[in-house]
Amino acid sequence: MTPAGAAVAERAGGRSGVPRWLRPAVITAGVLVLVLAPLGFTENTYIQTVLILTLLLVVSSSGWNIISGFAGYVSLGQGAFIGVGAYTVGILSRHTDVSPFVLAPLGGVAAAALAAVLGLVAMRARGHAFVIITIAFLFLMQTLALNLQSITGGSAGITLPLPTWSRDIGELPFYYAMLALAVLSVALAAWIRRSKLGAGLLAIREDEGKATAIGIRTPAYKLIGFVVSAVLIGIAGGIDGYFLTFIDPRGMFDILISVQIVLAALLGGRGTIWGPVLGAFLLQPLSEVVNNYFGTRLGIRLLVFGGLLALVVMLMPAGIIPTIRTAVRRWRERGSVVPFIEQPVRRAKPAAAAPPEEPAVPALAVRVSDREPVAERPPLLEIQGLSKRFGGLTALDGCSFSVREGTITGLIGPNGSGKTTVFNLVTGIVPGAGGQVRFDSRRIDQLRPWERPALGIGRTFQITRLFKQLTVLENVVAPLSHFSLRHLASGGTSGAEAARARELLDLVGLGAFGDRTAGTLSFGQQKLVELAQVLMLEPKLIMLDEPAGGVNPSLIEHLADLIRQLNRDGISFLVVEHNMPLVLQLCDPVVVLAAGRCIAQGPPQAIQRDPEVLGAYLGGDGSATQGLPEGSGAPQGGAPVGRGGPGNPRGVPR
Amino acid sequence: MKLAQTVLLGLLTGGVYALLASGLTLVFGVMRIINVAQGALLILAALFTFEIWRRTGLDPLLAIVVTTPLMFGIGWLLYRGLLARVRAAPEAMTVLLTFALAIAIEGFMGLIWRNVFRSVTPSYFASSFHVGGLFLPKGLAAGCVTAVVVLGLLYLALTRTWTGRAIRAAAENVQGAQLVGVSVVDVAAVTFAIGIATTGAGGSILSILQPFFPASHYVWISKLLGIIVLGGMGSLPGAVIGALLLGVAENVTSAYVSPRWSLVVFYVVIMVVLLVRPQGIAGSRLREDVAA
Amino acid sequence: MSREAVTSGVLELRGVVAGYGGGDVLQGVDLEVEPGSITCIVGPNGAGKSTVLRTVSGLLPPRKGTITLDGKTIGGLDPAGVLQHGIVQVPQHGGLFPSLSVRENVLMGAWLLRRDRSLVRRRYQQVVETLPVLAEWADRKAGNLSGGQRRLVEFARSLMVEPTVVLLDEPSLGLDPASLRQVYDLVKLLNQQGVTLLLVEQNVRVGLGAATWAVVMESGRVRLAGPPREVLDNPEIADLYLGGTITHTGRV
Repeated sequence: MTPAGAAVAERAGGRSGVPRWLRPAVITAGVLVLVLAPLGFTENTYIQTVLILTLLLVVSSSGWNIISGFAGYVSLGQGAFIGVGAYTVGILSRHTDVSPFVLAPLGGVAAAALAAVLGLVAMRARGHAFVIITIAFLFLMQTLALNLQSITGGSAGITLPLPTWSRDIGELPFYYAMLALAVLSVALAAWIRRSKLGAGLLAIREDEGKATAIGIRTPAYKLIGFVVSAVLIGIAGGIDGYFLTFIDPRGMFDILISVQIVLAALLGGRGTIWGPVLGAFLLQPLSEVVNNYFGTRLGIRLLVFGGLLALVVMLMPAGIIPTIRTAVRRWRERGSVVPFIEQPVRRAKPAAAAPPEEPAVPALAVRVSDREPVAERPPLLEIQGLSKRFGGLTALDGCSFSVREGTITGLIGPNGSGKTTVFNLVTGIVPGAGGQVRFDSRRIDQLRPWERPALGIGRTFQITRLFKQLTVLENVVAPLSHFSLRHLASGGTSGAEAARARELLDLVGLGAFGDRTAGTLSFGQQKLVELAQVLMLEPKLIMLDEPAGGVNPSLIEHLADLIRQLNRDGISFLVVEHNMPLVLQLCDPVVVLAAGRCIAQGPPQAIQRDPEVLGAYLGGDGSATQGLPEGSGAPQGGAPVGRGGPGNPRGVPR
Repeated sequence: MKLAQTVLLGLLTGGVYALLASGLTLVFGVMRIINVAQGALLILAALFTFEIWRRTGLDPLLAIVVTTPLMFGIGWLLYRGLLARVRAAPEAMTVLLTFALAIAIEGFMGLIWRNVFRSVTPSYFASSFHVGGLFLPKGLAAGCVTAVVVLGLLYLALTRTWTGRAIRAAAENVQGAQLVGVSVVDVAAVTFAIGIATTGAGGSILSILQPFFPASHYVWISKLLGIIVLGGMGSLPGAVIGALLLGVAENVTSAYVSPRWSLVVFYVVIMVVLLVRPQGIAGSRLREDVAA
Repeated sequence: MSREAVTSGVLELRGVVAGYGGGDVLQGVDLEVEPGSITCIVGPNGAGKSTVLRTVSGLLPPRKGTITLDGKTIGGLDPAGVLQHGIVQVPQHGGLFPSLSVRENVLMGAWLLRRDRSLVRRRYQQVVETLPVLAEWADRKAGNLSGGQRRLVEFARSLMVEPTVVLLDEPSLGLDPASLRQVYDLVKLLNQQGVTLLLVEQNVRVGLGAATWAVVMESGRVRLAGPPREVLDNPEIADLYLGGTITHTGRV
């Protein structure tokens, strides 16, 4: 990052100007306080109890945050795992003499197993459907606990063994156990947030479809996220059961517990590390105050929590911490010049990947090269007979063409000719209905969408799909090259991958923007970020969907230069564009689609003069050959373009 | 014989469920909002009916004339005051909001009416018709007939009135509706109010069928969610089919397995249907509900 | 046909800038639609043709510039407000309500007039007279019609308010030749009765064949305007679709 860039980043409020040692110091101090505090309250078991319950809420809320904050799958049933943990310990402690403290981790195992099962099935549902499934799951658990009386004791509940230590120690063992779990939960959440797993979960929250397009294996990520979010809650549940000594279905699977978990995280800040902690420390004391002041009349508690949840959702859905952060950032940035408007992006010093010389020759020189003529290069991408219908509309009708290695192939055609559908079928976002797609001689149309980027296919979108709430750097680092647990655990924005990402940002000219939030960039700048994102996976073929659309002319030049440079380095391109001047100077060959099939293929000048292509654009009443209207010039001389029947790509004699 | 009796009871109950679920599915169809508070509002209406019956002796099924407009008004206020503010929010957050509303209403009911089981017991409550060896509990039969009548009125309102047409139009095609001058915000408010109005009638009927107390709303929302998920969220005919099917399933489970397991049927239906065929029996495929 | 030939005033766009989200699709559009004309806008993709219609019909508010009808400002009004001025849009796709019957769909066109039942009934009769096949389809669910049939129903619906200006967004899209002919016959018929039509067309030849005035747009601006024959014969049109721009900005 250039010094100027770092200055810009700081002004834009990326990393705040707070000294680096302050944060860890505050955290350590806080933990120390918590560790030592109860020693001053050994006689006051009430305060110990409140703290224990608060820490339980911290654990649960942090866990919830992983699946519902990071990944965005809101669960109203997370409290069920507390009950699962408690009942596991309760049931086991009936049959053995082992201390429930030792049994507690098994509560975590049970919770993880249950989460895995629920996760495998529930992950196919999104949005409100997922919330409802988690509610049903919670009620189901409660009913099972009530009905399977021989195992769970039914509504009579289970009584756990009493604590084996002396009265003087009070509740301290529970306290320290819960504190350890709370620290572990927060540390786990922080670690995940910085890892590739966390980046993937955040990507899933922002745009799940885009996440699959960059190689993230979404079902696996969600499953792991769900299991991880449940494990510590299960262990905490086991300890909670021991703490309460008596557990029953109503108490352990009370939906109000789940509501508190959600409320704590929402209030503090969904998706942040410390939000659940803050929320828990606000909410539990509030709960106690309500209990003490109003007695245990259930109605008041419900009104308070229901009302509070409603207020948070309506007025401050992001939560306290993000709201404060945004306010601070806005205050910092007031009056400062922030380049929201399109600015001509300066090329940073050429990074290692860029060749040293700048092409000073006119564009035509790209085609006159000493490489093999286009026709003799091997096909990299082959589309054969692709068909696709949407409802009554036929988008593709036996479309066939290929993209040859090393070319920048243009794909043009009138509205509705099927260009974006071709892209969607090649990347797998949309299932096809006939035909084949071959990449590098290998058939790919049966592969899942996230398996394709690893083969070397990258794709940008007509309307950019970036993860708007993440930083530019996080966006570029997001693509996943290979899936393994170790790789998932590795750091997201540090290490070799991050360095490469910065290089790529420099290459596209956005080196100074690494720490900016992606959503604040201009449209054209976002397109460049998407390109850098695609380059992370070292693609052999990049499919660009209207790269120049909505972008101002100076940036279009920059884009074209970039594409040519990358092409010289060996990347092939397939470009859908409506901007004809750009297509003519950039692409060779050009493929023309009309009415769902390929009607022409050849060098740009020939395509430009081809009457059938013109006819496809200008329309008519459907007759095959339509010359230009009388009065205009007849087709100029030049390379004769072969004519084939509908559906046959014409040859390209040179 | 027992089977016939069980099935008959199930169908009658299903008829009532159909009315209860109709409001929920209507609101979803037009506004894509799942109103988790529907159960709580049902209990609220039942409590209103109880009060009316206790103070005036008015038959609960006739009290519908009072409770329906009352709930309509409450629905209108709830939309304008709360839900209109979160129109742009993601779906999951709206569900949380309606859930918060449900809990708040439960709290409110608990404070005013205390957590005591109540039941409205008009004279015909405990007796049954005897038809061909089968017993038709009079309360259930009357309730089912009333439910069918109200559903019929709802159907007429949706198909024969301009407002009803606008509601159906907006449910299918917001842009098309705008282009003919329909105010989509007003339609949303009216739809929500109608959806809540059905709880007025539904709650009154419910009050004679089973004892209820504030926390009963969890039971009811579970049943209703199961019904609309099975029938297809947003589809009124689907709600009727789902209600009948689940009414029978619930009764059969209750009679042949145990009453304690009858609710489990609903939970299982919710989970299985949302995963295997999210659009249910009669609903249209909603792209946001299924992960890529 | 008993129908007063009430024509609109001039529909004028001056310097209109509009867009969705980030960019501006329209970059300063100047356009005049003469009353009683059939004006057809053509141009390559991304030119902003449909966007022009949406700014007029109220689906998209303009960021800059003015849109007036007979001197009265209509830019920035919502669709209901625009409808009050007698301007109706028939959208490119999906304007119908699939589960409502054809009759109900057409009736919905008179939503703003719904309080006057006899008026609505009369209008419906008039519309069926204009397009008799509607009587045949009246009870069918709109979702069961073919694309061409739907386009006709949408068109008919727009007539319920007796509009003075009808905006047609790509009427030929996805239509078979027979339906295409029917749609354009209706266009001519309406025009004879004094309705002003503003069309956007992909199919240049069909669109300009029916038009009395042609407008060519590119990159968010109007580039050419004139009698259709002249515009169609202009060699720059081929250039426009498959080559440079009329005022060259790129290196070609």
